[in-house]
Amino acid sequence: MRSSAQSNMGAAPRLAADQATAAQPAAPAIEIDRVTKTFADRAGSGITVLDDISLAIAQNAFVSLVGRSGCGKTTLLNILAGLEAPTSGAVRIAGRPVKGPGQGQGVVFQQHALFPWLTALENVKFGCRKRPISRAEKEDVARDLLALVGLQDAAAKYPREMSGGMQQRVAIARALALDPDILLMDEPFGALDELTRIELQDELLRIWQVRRKTVVFVTHSISEALVLSDRIVLLAPHPGRIARDVTVDPPRPRVRSDPRFATLYDEIWRGLSQ
Amino acid sequence: MKPGRTSDILLGLAGVAIVVAGWELLVRGGAVDPKLFPSPTMAFAEAAERLSAATVAQHTLWSLYRIVVGFLLGAVAGTVIGIAAGWYRGIGLVLRPIIELLRPIPPLAWIPLAIIWFGLGEPSKFFIIFLGAFFPVVTAAYVGITSVDPVLIRAAQTFGLRGPGLLLRVGLPAAAPDLLTGIRIGWGLAFGILVAAELIAADRGLGFMIMNERNTTGSVAVIVVGITLIGILNLITDWAIAAASQRYIGRWHGR
Amino acid sequence: MRRRLIDILFASVVIGALLAAWELGVAYGYLKVYQFPPASRIAKGFVDLTTVGFPTGITVWSHTATTIGRILQGYAGALVLAIPLGFVIGSSRVLDKMTAPLIVFGRSIATLSLLPLAIVWFGTGELTKIVLIGYGCFWVMLSNVIAGVKYVDPVLLKAGRAYGASGIELARTVVLPAALPRIFAGARMALGVGFMVIVGAEMIGTVEGLGALIMEARTFYRSEITIVGMLIIGVLGFAISTGLMWLERALVPWGDPLAGVRR
Ligand SMILES: Nc1ncnc2c1ncn2[C@@H]1O[C@H](COP(=O)(O)OP(=O)(O)O)[C@@H](O)[C@H]1O
Ligand SMILES: [Mg+2]
Repeated sequence: MRSSAQSNMGAAPRLAADQATAAQPAAPAIEIDRVTKTFADRAGSGITVLDDISLAIAQNAFVSLVGRSGCGKTTLLNILAGLEAPTSGAVRIAGRPVKGPGQGQGVVFQQHALFPWLTALENVKFGCRKRPISRAEKEDVARDLLALVGLQDAAAKYPREMSGGMQQRVAIARALALDPDILLMDEPFGALDELTRIELQDELLRIWQVRRKTVVFVTHSISEALVLSDRIVLLAPHPGRIARDVTVDPPRPRVRSDPRFATLYDEIWRGLSQ
Repeated sequence: MKPGRTSDILLGLAGVAIVVAGWELLVRGGAVDPKLFPSPTMAFAEAAERLSAATVAQHTLWSLYRIVVGFLLGAVAGTVIGIAAGWYRGIGLVLRPIIELLRPIPPLAWIPLAIIWFGLGEPSKFFIIFLGAFFPVVTAAYVGITSVDPVLIRAAQTFGLRGPGLLLRVGLPAAAPDLLTGIRIGWGLAFGILVAAELIAADRGLGFMIMNERNTTGSVAVIVVGITLIGILNLITDWAIAAASQRYIGRWHGR
Repeated sequence: MRRRLIDILFASVVIGALLAAWELGVAYGYLKVYQFPPASRIAKGFVDLTTVGFPTGITVWSHTATTIGRILQGYAGALVLAIPLGFVIGSSRVLDKMTAPLIVFGRSIATLSLLPLAIVWFGTGELTKIVLIGYGCFWVMLSNVIAGVKYVDPVLLKAGRAYGASGIELARTVVLPAALPRIFAGARMALGVGFMVIVGAEMIGTVEGLGALIMEARTFYRSEITIVGMLIIGVLGFAISTGLMWLERALVPWGDPLAGVRR
C-alpha cells in the first residue's frame, strides 16, 4: 500500500478519504470511543476537560482539531499518544487498545522538544532507538529523514544553533524515525513566523503524500487547517466536546486562494463562535 | 563598537601591575614594616630561603590529595542522592527534610563531630571536605532534575523510553548544566574548607604550613607566599573545572 | 491538599522511625552514646545549655549573641566598603577591566588562610575575627555590586536618557533600582560566607561563640552539646537567610529573589 502511494507521487493527487473508502473497508486507523477526561482540582471535585468524545479517523486521513485555547486539544492528543489515560472510554489504534506510548504513534510537540544535548542527526537517531534494525541502518534512516526535511547539511548542528523552522523540521524527522502509522501534531507550527509556517505546511503535505501516514493535527489557525486537512473537527470548550465535523473537499494540490475556502472558513468560524 | 579582548587583558595586567608595584614601593619606601608585611620580592626571596621546593610540593600534594578524595566522594554522593530525591517521589519526601535541616550548618561546624567519629587522621578531613562538596552538589542535582522540561520527558516516552533508561538518557543530561554549576560551587567551597580544616587540625598540607609558620613565630614571608599559593591553586583548579564543563555543555547549552 | 497531608505524614513516619531506631540502637549498645548521642540526650543537652551553660556560666544565648555580634560587625564593614566601591568600578569600563583579575584573585584566596597573617597583624582577639569575616563578605559583595551595576539592561538606560535623566539622576532612578536585586543577592551570599568564616575563626583561641562552643564541648566529650551547637548554627543560618529574603521581597518587589544566585 505504501509503495502504491509512493508511485502516485506527482500524479493527480488522491484524497486519503477516497482511498480509504475505495481501496478496502479497512478498520479506522484511530477509534476514539466515548472518551472522558477529568483532572483532579483543588476542591477535590475534579474538572471535566473532555466529555464523551467519539471519533473514527480513517487510514491515511489528514484530520485537524480546531478549538479555542483550553478546550482540551492537547489533552486529547496526549490520550491518543498514550501519554495520559482517559478517565473513561477507550482509544484503539488499528484495532488495538492504546495502553501507553510507543504503539505506532509519533508525536510532534508545539515547542520542538528536541533534546538540546543531541545534534540534529542524534535527535533523529533517538527516534529509531527501539526499532529492530542495526546501528548502521539507523544511521542511514536518520540521514534519509534529515534529507527528506531538507536538512542534510545541518546534521551536526545542535538545536540551539538552528532556527525555529529548522528545529521543527528535525522534530518531524525524529517523529518519522519511529516509523509510526500515525502522526500526532500539537500546534507544531504555532510558534513560527507566517512565511516559515507556509513553507512547513507545504513540506508536511509533501511528506504526508510520500510516506502515507494518518495525521491528527491540532491548530488554532483556520486557514492552516483548511489548506492541510481532509476533515476538520471543531471542539467546543467547557467541557471539551465535538461541536462540528467538517469535510474539506477541494482537491489537492490546493491553492491557498481557492474561493471555496472562503465559504468553509465562514462555516468553521461560525462553528467556533457558537 | 565591541571592545577588543586584547585591550581588556592589557587593562587587567595594568591593574595587577599597579597594585604589585604600589605594594613594593610602599614597603621599600618605609611606609610599611617589612617584618609585618614584606614586599612581593622580599617575600619570595625570603620564602625561597626558608622553604625548599620539595617541602612546598609535599604540602601541596597532601592538600590536593585530601581535596580530590573528599570532593569526589561528595560530588558523587551529592549527584546520586540529589537525582534520586528529585526523580523518585518517595525518596524525595524522606531525604529533603533531612537535607534541608543539615544544609544551613556550615561544613566547618562538623569538625568536632568529624573528630569524634573518625579521629584526627585523614578520614575526618575527607569527611569535612566531602560535606563542603556534597551540599552544593546535592542541591544543584535536585534542582536540575526537578526542573527538567516535562515536554522532553514526554517526547522520550513517545519513543518507548521509561524507567532507568529515561532517567539516564534524558533526566541526567537535562540536569547536567545545573549539576555542573553545583559542582563548580562545591569545588570552591571544598577548597576553602580544606584550608580551614588544615589550619585547625592537621600536621601537613598547605593550611598547616602557614599556620605552623605563625605558631613557631617564623616568617611572615612564608605565610604571605603560602596564602598566595593557595589562592593561585584555587584559581587554576576552578578555571580548569569551568573549562572542562564548558567543553561538555558549552555547545548545546551555551554559557 | 489531601495528597500533601499524606506526603507529610509519610515523611514524618519514616523520619520518626529512623530517630526511634537510633534511640534503640544506643539503648541496646549497638551505637556508642558518645559518638551518636540520640535525640533524647541532645534534648537534655539543650536544656543544660540554656540553664547551666557550657562552659558553666555561659549559656547558649550568650554564645549566640557573641557570634551574631561578630558577624554583624564584619558584615557591616564589608557592605560599607563594597557598595560604594562597587558602584564606582561597575560604572567605569576601564576600572572594571583593570580590577577584574584582582577581584577574581581576592575571591580565590581562601578567607581562613588569612588567619595566620591576621593573627600576626591584629593578635588573637576580636579584631582578627571581624576582619576575616569582613574579608570574606567583601569580595562576594563587591563582585555582585559590580555585576549589578554593569549589567543594567541597556534598553533601560536608553529609556532613562530618552526621558532626560543623566548623571546622578540616572544612577538614582535607573541604575540603582535595576541593580538592587543583584545587590541583595550578593548581600545574602555574603552573609552565608560570613557565617562559614566565623565558625572556623571561632574554633581557634577563644571560648566564646558558637564555633568555640562546639569545639570545646568535644574536648570535654560532650558530643550532645556539640550537636546542639551545630543545630543552633544551622537554625541561625536559616533564619538569617530567610529574613533577608523577606526583607528583599519587601524592599525590591520588582526583583526575582533567585536571580543572580549563580556566581
Ligand atoms: N495535568 C492537568 N491537571 C489539571 N488540569 C489540566 C491538566 N492538563 C490540562 N488541564 C486543563 O485542561 C484544560 C484543557 O487543556 P489543554 O488540553 O492543554 O487545552 P488546549 O490544548 O486545547 O489549549 C485546561 O483548562 C487546562 O487547564
Ligand atoms: Mg494545547
